[in-house]
Amino acid sequence: MVKIEHLSKKYNDNIVLDDIHLEIKKGDVVGIIGPSGTGKSTLLRCVNHLEIPESGVIHMDGKTVDITRKRGRELRYLQQHTGMVFQRFYLFEKKTALENVMEGLIVVKKMSKEEAKKTAMQELDKVGMSSWANHYPKHLSGGQQQRVALARAIAMKPDLLLLDEPTSALDPELVGEVLDVIRKVAEEGYTMLLVSHEMNFVRHVANRVIFLDKGRIVEDGTPKEVFERPKNERTREFFRKMYMMNQPEYII
Amino acid sequence: MGKLFDLKLVFTSIPELLEKLPITLELAGLAMVLGLLLGLLMAIIKIKKIKGLTQIINFIISAIRGTPVIVQLYIAFFGIPMFFKYLNQRFGTNLAVADIPGFVYAVVALGLNQSAFCAEIIRSALQAVNEGQIEAAQALGMTYLQTLRRIILPQAFEVALPTLGNSLISIIKSTSLAFTCAVVELTAQGRIIAGRSYRYFELYISLAIIYWVITIIIEQAIKFIEKKIRIPDQVALLPAANSRSVEEEHG
Repeated sequence: MVKIEHLSKKYNDNIVLDDIHLEIKKGDVVGIIGPSGTGKSTLLRCVNHLEIPESGVIHMDGKTVDITRKRGRELRYLQQHTGMVFQRFYLFEKKTALENVMEGLIVVKKMSKEEAKKTAMQELDKVGMSSWANHYPKHLSGGQQQRVALARAIAMKPDLLLLDEPTSALDPELVGEVLDVIRKVAEEGYTMLLVSHEMNFVRHVANRVIFLDKGRIVEDGTPKEVFERPKNERTREFFRKMYMMNQPEYII
Repeated sequence: MGKLFDLKLVFTSIPELLEKLPITLELAGLAMVLGLLLGLLMAIIKIKKIKGLTQIINFIISAIRGTPVIVQLYIAFFGIPMFFKYLNQRFGTNLAVADIPGFVYAVVALGLNQSAFCAEIIRSALQAVNEGQIEAAQALGMTYLQTLRRIILPQAFEVALPTLGNSLISIIKSTSLAFTCAVVELTAQGRIIAGRSYRYFELYISLAIIYWVITIIIEQAIKFIEKKIRIPDQVALLPAANSRSVEEEHG
């Protein structure tokens, strides 16, 4: 179980996260939705300590990590036990797909090269990229790069997998292959925090959905509750606008 | 009076000049290594904006870039012994200043000079590495030093290589000033040989040829390394033997 408490972050005077509390049960897939600029990505980045918040504590496996500190052993523990998938993949450019997945296993998990290679190949196979193992990121399409990035994250067997808009930077026709892989990973029982604008996907893959607005959690429930019977006015407005977009322009 | 220009001497003196080639190469090599290490350190301090140190380093870089190499060599040659004498007087130690060969002064001076230029080259190369990859490494749980060594430096090296190659070439030429520290390298050897026959012009032509050839070799070597470390344009697919693939497309 992962528990986030009193998480607040602001950039100058702009409050991005306002005293967030969040408890994530093991195996939960939590979808985070909401309008742009409401701190969805910042939330993930704070949990992974890529941003340093003004206040915030994370409880994880009986450890308490103060994420306002700059460095420390607990923070490394946090980073080593959470995985991150970025919107823009961020694969290591000078390494092949296989080496990308092996990197964390060798450097952080201290695996031997053979062991790391075996594990990495299994993970690449899982995301359907094993035959591209010797390719460099620049040889791969966006969807393929994101699948390798997923393999890189899950190879570390994170207790919490953070996905920051994993399909937002992809061509529409490549979104499907990445979503397929994420669904597969979710089915394996990984605990995930998923920020996404693919509402239909969130609805089907998540077992809990959180609506974030102006740095606060304004809605929290099962996908059915949040999508079909939103309690908050802001959430209703958000869905109304979205459904409006999805409607056909003309009906003959 | 003999011939105005003795073409034969230009070539016959080359073997004797080349006796001192190792000194020139050692000087340049050691100064380059020193320059790279110090330059990397300075670059990291500047990138990390470490308070106090950054200002000191900016000052050093400015001073080094704003003065000629030959002046720096003289300063090292006279300054380092004075510094040691001061230490001896102050602490009553007995550091043997006279035992330090001029070669060391030259390496220190040229290395420091080189570090100021390398610092800027390395800093811009390090900063050319995509911030996202650094975050990705951090997210995996890698420390900054691990990230630096395994992710940042290999990429920065590729970016910096052509410019660093130019630096190496320029330092090879700067070693010709090392005579100021009483080091007999290629150029000093040339003067000594020329002093015997008063054929200065011919000897300087020989020297010019030697330096030029060294430079051409370095240029070619850099080109070769650049080609070697570049990511190949195409790689063959591996046979998907045990792949239960979700793959439909190949593009």
